[in-house]
Amino acid sequence: MSWFVRGILGGIHTMRRAVRAESAPGTTPGLPTSVSPATAEQRALEAICPTNAIVAEDGGVRVREERCVHCMRCSPAVTAASLPWRDDVAWVRGARREIDEAALRGAFRRSIHVRVVDAGDCGSCLSELTHLNDPLYNMHRLGIFVTPTPRQADVLVVVGPVTEQMRSALLEAYDAMPEPKRVLAIGACASSGGVFGPSFTSAAGAGDVVPVDAVLPGCPPPPLAILDALLALTGDRTR
Amino acid sequence: MNRGALATAFFGALIGACMLALGAAALLGRAPTIVHSWSLPAFGTPHFAATPLSGFFVLIAGTIAVPSSIYSLAYLRRYRGEYSLDAFAALYVLVLLSVIAIFFAADAVSFTVAWEIMTLTSCGLISFEWRDRRAARAALLTLAMSEFGTLAVVLAFLLAARPSGSLDFTAIAAHAGALSPVARVFIVLLSLFGFGVKAGVLPFNAWLPRAYPAAPANATAIIAGVLVNCGLYGMLLLNLVLVPQNAMLFGALALAVGALSAIVGILYATIDDDLKRMLAFSSVENLGIALTAIGAGAIFLALHRFDLAALGIGAGLWHMANHSLYKALLFLGAGAVDTVAGSTRMNLLGGLVRAAPVTATCFLVAAVAIAGIPPLNGFASEWLTLETLLRSAEVGLVPVKIAFVLAGALIALTAALAVTCFVKAYAMTFLGTPRSESTRNVRRELPAAAGIGMGLLAGACVVAGIFPAYAIQLIDAALPGTLHGQLAAALLPPFLEFGHGSGGFMRDFHALGATIGAGIIPGRSLVVLHRGGATNPVVFAMSSTYLAVFSAVILGGVFVTVRLFARRTVARARAWAGGLRSLLPEMTYTATGFSNPVRVIFEAVFNPRTIENTREAVHDHFRVAITRRRERDYVGDRLATEPLVAKVRDYANDLARMHHGRLEGYVTYALVALVVVMLAVVFLA
Amino acid sequence: MTIRTLAPDQLVAACNELRLAGWRLATIAVTDSELPELRYVFWNTNGPGWQQLRVAPPSPMPEGVRRIPSLTPTIVAADWLEREIEDLFAIDFEGHPRLGDFVLHDSRWEEGVGPMRAGARTQQALVERAWRPRRVLRDEGAFVMPVGPVYSGEAESALFLLETVGEDVVRTVPRLFYKYRGIEKLAQQRSVDDALLLVERANGTSAFAHAWTYCMAAEEILQLAVPDRALRLRTIFAEVERIRRHIAVLRAIVDSTALWVPAARLLELEEHLLRMCGDLTGHRYLFGFTVIGGLQRDVNDEALTRGVARMKAIVGSVRSIVVQLERTSSFLDRIQRVGILSPERAHEFGVVGPFARASRVAYDLRRIQPYGAYQDAAFEPPTASEGDGYARLRVLAEEIAISLSIVEQLERDLRPGPVRVEWTPSAGEALAWCEAPAGATVQLLRLNDEGRCTLLRFTPPSFRNWQSFRWVTEDFAFQDFPIILATCGLSVAENDR
Repeated sequence: MSWFVRGILGGIHTMRRAVRAESAPGTTPGLPTSVSPATAEQRALEAICPTNAIVAEDGGVRVREERCVHCMRCSPAVTAASLPWRDDVAWVRGARREIDEAALRGAFRRSIHVRVVDAGDCGSCLSELTHLNDPLYNMHRLGIFVTPTPRQADVLVVVGPVTEQMRSALLEAYDAMPEPKRVLAIGACASSGGVFGPSFTSAAGAGDVVPVDAVLPGCPPPPLAILDALLALTGDRTR
Repeated sequence: MNRGALATAFFGALIGACMLALGAAALLGRAPTIVHSWSLPAFGTPHFAATPLSGFFVLIAGTIAVPSSIYSLAYLRRYRGEYSLDAFAALYVLVLLSVIAIFFAADAVSFTVAWEIMTLTSCGLISFEWRDRRAARAALLTLAMSEFGTLAVVLAFLLAARPSGSLDFTAIAAHAGALSPVARVFIVLLSLFGFGVKAGVLPFNAWLPRAYPAAPANATAIIAGVLVNCGLYGMLLLNLVLVPQNAMLFGALALAVGALSAIVGILYATIDDDLKRMLAFSSVENLGIALTAIGAGAIFLALHRFDLAALGIGAGLWHMANHSLYKALLFLGAGAVDTVAGSTRMNLLGGLVRAAPVTATCFLVAAVAIAGIPPLNGFASEWLTLETLLRSAEVGLVPVKIAFVLAGALIALTAALAVTCFVKAYAMTFLGTPRSESTRNVRRELPAAAGIGMGLLAGACVVAGIFPAYAIQLIDAALPGTLHGQLAAALLPPFLEFGHGSGGFMRDFHALGATIGAGIIPGRSLVVLHRGGATNPVVFAMSSTYLAVFSAVILGGVFVTVRLFARRTVARARAWAGGLRSLLPEMTYTATGFSNPVRVIFEAVFNPRTIENTREAVHDHFRVAITRRRERDYVGDRLATEPLVAKVRDYANDLARMHHGRLEGYVTYALVALVVVMLAVVFLA
Repeated sequence: MTIRTLAPDQLVAACNELRLAGWRLATIAVTDSELPELRYVFWNTNGPGWQQLRVAPPSPMPEGVRRIPSLTPTIVAADWLEREIEDLFAIDFEGHPRLGDFVLHDSRWEEGVGPMRAGARTQQALVERAWRPRRVLRDEGAFVMPVGPVYSGEAESALFLLETVGEDVVRTVPRLFYKYRGIEKLAQQRSVDDALLLVERANGTSAFAHAWTYCMAAEEILQLAVPDRALRLRTIFAEVERIRRHIAVLRAIVDSTALWVPAARLLELEEHLLRMCGDLTGHRYLFGFTVIGGLQRDVNDEALTRGVARMKAIVGSVRSIVVQLERTSSFLDRIQRVGILSPERAHEFGVVGPFARASRVAYDLRRIQPYGAYQDAAFEPPTASEGDGYARLRVLAEEIAISLSIVEQLERDLRPGPVRVEWTPSAGEALAWCEAPAGATVQLLRLNDEGRCTLLRFTPPSFRNWQSFRWVTEDFAFQDFPIILATCGLSVAENDR
């Protein structure tokens, strides 16, 4: 039996629900959220957070989500004095400017093409990006395609903290893209430098090198969050 | 301004203009004009005749000579102070004059004498850069092979002249029927060999890839654009005009030799990295195509299918003419590249379009034309060649059909490879990044005279391509004897007349073209159309005129639309090189790399002699160098020239033993020779 | 573990002796960047055992003559290790034929900076300088085809310089370390807990194996007895990670040959494993699961049993896909006899993991130098001898089945109990190793009594295997390049660190 026939007989595996409504176990690790007012134990979490993502202030606890590297030390499953963790996937937030849906609707109304630049990624963000091709998520049905050349790209996705030796390559890719273009930093490293940057080899995320339009926290953000971010960034056509 | 360069340009252009006038007069005048010259003792009176066929060849020669001579003005500067330009001028003028004499010769003696002058002077041109050993060797090889050719030609003429006892062409033609079959076979073989050497078709064309790159570019333009035509002219003259009974045998051999030359020529052209040598191999290919068409036409002639015979021979002549135009232009372009960039090795060139836009544009026109892309001139003649081969369906003989199908397949493959070949030639020379320091430093191109020369030829290519109907009428006028008038009748039906009750669309299409064409351009037709007979009602239609108009309208329309309506501005950015700051020249495709797949696929033909593969290593783990040297030898050398040279050497060694220096020995030789001659006279008379 | 101290001039002879006795070079660590003092780590192929050679000059070497004899002419596997140390510590290796432009690209860094040296001036003005590839092929029309550093769809950043005359590639030189993040240097200022995060993120797709190795080293220094349940769970999830990573490599191989249906199926199966991990441990890539002293959280036994059952189904599906692939001739045509690594080369270059096992180098640290709970499981690592793409595919497929069997064996005897012990900081040094999904990984860790990391030497398997990559990619057709690359299953992130 040919692979083609096997493929057809395999049926449709793609999830039927909207990106934000999917809730199968294990699709997302969750993300700590700010809490106010906070207990003394919760405020003490500031000290155990390795990347200073947790800030105790004004009686509450603020979580700088883009710094969270999923060490799980403040997770409800690990400690009793935990922060509340969200299990949705709408993590993306605009950095340079608010995402202006009306302005973008024209340019990205149809399909969008994404150029991924690995600027020092550990491989997990790239792995999650690869899973957008997964029949379960299938980004193509939403009109999202990964392109090998930045010349045809609408969105530049940056993963990794931007190492010194990838800096010029990232700039080259950004310069090679036609306008209008958007830059999405995916993962804690690209958003804030994560555990690596800033250092003698790494920048503090993609924002140090190219103008970033939106950051998606997470270490790594799951495929659903990436899909959601791409849709939000380009005008949310189908969500 | 140098005297030699001026003389070359002035006299060359003058002779070229005379050629144009004489050629046109002879071609359109129809009635042969016979000129008797002074009498020569023992050979009779050499005389010259202007026939339409020779007029056609002279016309082409003039079309090449004028632009090449103008080009010389700019080109010859590079030799100032190094080589004698006066000598060049003398040789150049002599070559052109001898060419006129060859085409107009009306008896074997004047033909042979003119032929010899042409051979000697062209060898002089080839060895013009005599300080370069390769040029000298190439000229010697050319001379040696040409002399063998001349010998064969003389023998062929003598054989043909036997029944009439006269070396006069009209007499030979009148008594050709009395030739024995054996003599006719020998005439065909000798003429194919003797003229084939000059035409550059297989197997005895080893001189060609060596001589073309060695000669100065303006001389090469004349050699490739005019002198090779002499070879084809000789074959036609001897086998179709003087001894028309030869048509079948000549046609069959020409078909085979032509098709093989075409494929072998284009294969070697595709893989060659030297611009000039590549063009030389491409000449082998083009003459091969022309010879194929002529051979097909000759076979049809023998089968008394005069319309198809006219089609074949016409296509062959046309392709030869087209080849003259674009190959001369390509050599002039290659010469310009050589002069400004200092090399013709494509692996060292690149990016010249920025520094030399005029050369690049003219070269592009010629490259598109030679690749057979419509609407330029190479397309129409290749089309008609293929059409001729396909029309073998109308002939009942199975061997003919098989031969034509095989030849057709080879020609089709040739046409496809020609595109690869010239994409490579143009791209590697003019596009991309310069691959050497001297290419990077090119700032400007040759002076205006070169541009004018090349521009004239480029214009000729375009005009000949867009108005095929006129070219067909010229060729039709040139066709000898019974064929005259057939070509135009077959391909250019009069307006608004359409027989055979064929389909409505074609009639409307043709009528539309006629109506539009009649209003804008005077002429018989803009569509080249050939209808099959009742048993084979296929219609071949081709109109590069419509195509040109159509593409001009489309491209112009797109351009105007984009200019007027597009709101987007064009952003310019560096080439994307995978994130590398800059694409280094060593990171771009080389000419060798581009044609490597062809080389790999046709390894059996190329049969590289040795692959030396040295790997130097330190401790076997750190490769310092992988050195490879490939020696690829030309199949013509391997199969024909080298065995021949070896044989000649052997004989020469044997003969050398006779030179022992003893007087009595020499006396004996003289005596034996005398006896042999006397016996021969007694028995043969 | 024995540590012998040698003078620099005794080094080569001593190492050669070990090599002849069946010891293999695991790593070279710089334990003092200023003296300089180096540590050569060997492991025994004939039975459990490690040996370290300490090499130091009698007195500090002055600037400019920091020279140690090179081991490379004797043990080729030392080549990249020495080049790396030369770049990062500015120590010259006398007799090494090719140094410079390795970790630190010449286009970006000045020569001789040595950023890993104590007190090195690491914040410098970085300038872009002209760089030309080193070319070896001398042939008419030879040129270099650059692939990368940004290429393909979601590929990791690396530049491949393919020396070629057209479509036949004669030689490939990978230019790596575009992603050099300096983990070994960054770890030096961090607490023992935070340095773990760095090691974990060296390679996200083998995060657990590296994190576990780090924890084993730290636990040895702190003299912790990790609870049995934690040990077993660690072993189980190390195998789960191995299965997931092997499926990902299989998918990449299938993807490179453009068989979309099995590629999509494998991607989906991998996603099911990711979800299973996310469900059981809270993180899809097992980040933050193992910590020093055990596990950060326990795993629900019933959920684990369900998970193992699900995994069995997944592995069954992978098996059937592989069986189908082996019947697809168009697929076999493309992976058979491409990218061949001969057993001799594999041995010489110290290639590890499934990559080596496909070339008949059968060393597996789980068997030879046991750790974790592997003594409690019966298994035999698979091998193949052809060393081509197909052999690597078969080894991967068999390892998936073996890993499942290990998981099942350990899960059966899993007893309830604590999964984490408390600890207090203490100083010390320890060596730990682990058979990561891509092969043997070795870490040398030194802690001070404040619980801070003062030295981390981390030699991951991909670093070992990339070294042999240029021998795998010699004399091949250009269109096979993505396939060869995929069959090697090499991680750039793991190599670059």
